Amino acid sequence: MAIRHRSVAVALPAGSRSARWPSARTRETLGGIGLLLPTVLLLVGLVLYPFFYAIWLAFSDKTVGSPGQFVGLKNFIYVLSWPQFSTAVVNTIVFTVSAVAIKLVLGMAVALVLNQRIRGRNFFRAFLLLPWAMPAFVVYLVWRWLYDPLSGLINYALIDLGLIASPIPFLSDRSTAMASVVVAHVWRNFPFYAISFLAGMQTISQELYDAAQVDGASRVQQFRHVTLPGLYHIIGVVVLLTTIWTANAFEPVYLLTGGGPSDATMVYTMLVYVMGMTNLRLGEAAAVSTLFLPLLIALVLAVTILLQKKASA
Amino acid sequence: MRESLSIRATTYALLALFVFMVAVPLFWMLTTALKSNKELYEDFTYLPHRPTLEHFVRVIRRDGLLTNIWNSFAVASVTTAVTVVVSAFAAFSIVRYKYRGREWIGRFILFKYVLPTAMLFVALYAIVVALGLGNTLKSLMLTYLSITVPFCTWMLMGYFRSIPAELEEHAMVDGCTKIGALFRILLPLSAPGIVASAIFSFTLAWNEFLLALVFTSDQTTMTVPIKLSMMVVGDQYIWGQLMAGAVLATVPITILYFLGQRFVVQGLSAGSVKG
Repeated sequence: MAIRHRSVAVALPAGSRSARWPSARTRETLGGIGLLLPTVLLLVGLVLYPFFYAIWLAFSDKTVGSPGQFVGLKNFIYVLSWPQFSTAVVNTIVFTVSAVAIKLVLGMAVALVLNQRIRGRNFFRAFLLLPWAMPAFVVYLVWRWLYDPLSGLINYALIDLGLIASPIPFLSDRSTAMASVVVAHVWRNFPFYAISFLAGMQTISQELYDAAQVDGASRVQQFRHVTLPGLYHIIGVVVLLTTIWTANAFEPVYLLTGGGPSDATMVYTMLVYVMGMTNLRLGEAAAVSTLFLPLLIALVLAVTILLQKKASA
Repeated sequence: MRESLSIRATTYALLALFVFMVAVPLFWMLTTALKSNKELYEDFTYLPHRPTLEHFVRVIRRDGLLTNIWNSFAVASVTTAVTVVVSAFAAFSIVRYKYRGREWIGRFILFKYVLPTAMLFVALYAIVVALGLGNTLKSLMLTYLSITVPFCTWMLMGYFRSIPAELEEHAMVDGCTKIGALFRILLPLSAPGIVASAIFSFTLAWNEFLLALVFTSDQTTMTVPIKLSMMVVGDQYIWGQLMAGAVLATVPITILYFLGQRFVVQGLSAGSVKG
């Protein structure tokens, strides 16, 4: 609202010019649209068009190099009848829910620790942020090497400590592959939760804690009744936002397991990649991502609304 | 008193645990890059007994990583230069101009900022091929804009909003044009926001994986992430070179990130995650 008032005031000083055509108001509109034009072109060409093109692809038999014909629901029927698709749905859900839950708890714990008066807080804050500051692909390559059954650190350390007798093939065993991918993903992404929550905690007034202490609230009660309510909005935004990012994560799976062993870590992004880029069947690949679209749009809209509500408040 | 003591103990114990958790992979990356192949694969050592830079030399000489570093650098620089100009204009337009429909553009920009690339890459691939840009760096420079521009526009909108419009209005009373006020008043005042958005689009472009993997297929057009990930499948005894390459890809960008991070916390708090 405040902005609107200002803008009206802005138009007035140019009064001497407003007699000419175009009028001040038209000039305002033209100027605004002119500045926005490159962005609009970009968004139309590289977001809107591909977005609808992807949906069209899902109804076509397009391959690379061929124009592609409309084939109706054929791709969807094929994809839905494929056991690999239901595996991918289950894996995506397992991966997303477990990763988000662990990141939430770990991120909150890290934020609480960093919010205490500790020596060298700035150093530790920066240090614990490192995984998030590193390129994601580097993180997953390092973890692949950590998990290595022949020369990896984890197996060596566990054997040296006497915890295991023989190396565990973390990434190539069906029972450990998914958990190993989740761990690597959590390592890389928990700092985002931690810094967001820490930023939120620092806006909570100290007076609220003082008042709670006067009322005899314990530390746990202070957390439950002061800290947590103060963070509700941020928790909501962070959880929704990272649910979207996690459900669409590609690098951890591609770089650690490639979806294997025997589809144990096949998530939907990996399936789209395999179908589109390895098998070059763009129509079916697009059908897989289109099937995830309604859920994704619902999540994206929820975050958008939450973020906008706060931005305008 | 007893309670606060036990809380301090718990705090430091947890802190030590977190530091250990973060330190181990970093330690493993750095020490691997510095060990000889003998120490890596024959007699296992936790620390490099005879640190050597041979893997760094090899990854640059034999694997030709410099080409890929240059590719990454070129893509990230062009993307960043275009992004900063385009998103500064867009943010200025949305925040300071008054016309119908701008709220919708703002909303759509936010929507795109949240929408993952994984949703679009198959269609983008078909478009890139149809444009004849398959296997070129140009395809990356172009498509990365669809990621960086919404992000930076959203960030700069927050920055511009936090700067009172009165300053520009005064300048315009003195005869400055509206667009002149952007360059003379608003941009200099938002320098931290501009720097942060530049650093972030550079980082995003430097680290981007999925589109680079899909669009480029040649040693000479690959960016660093793709080159290194291709090396994994090539050779069993590759980890020394790979970690050396990882260190080279990480150190400059991490320093940049920390320089920019200071500003982005302000940017985010001005824009979105305001408490």
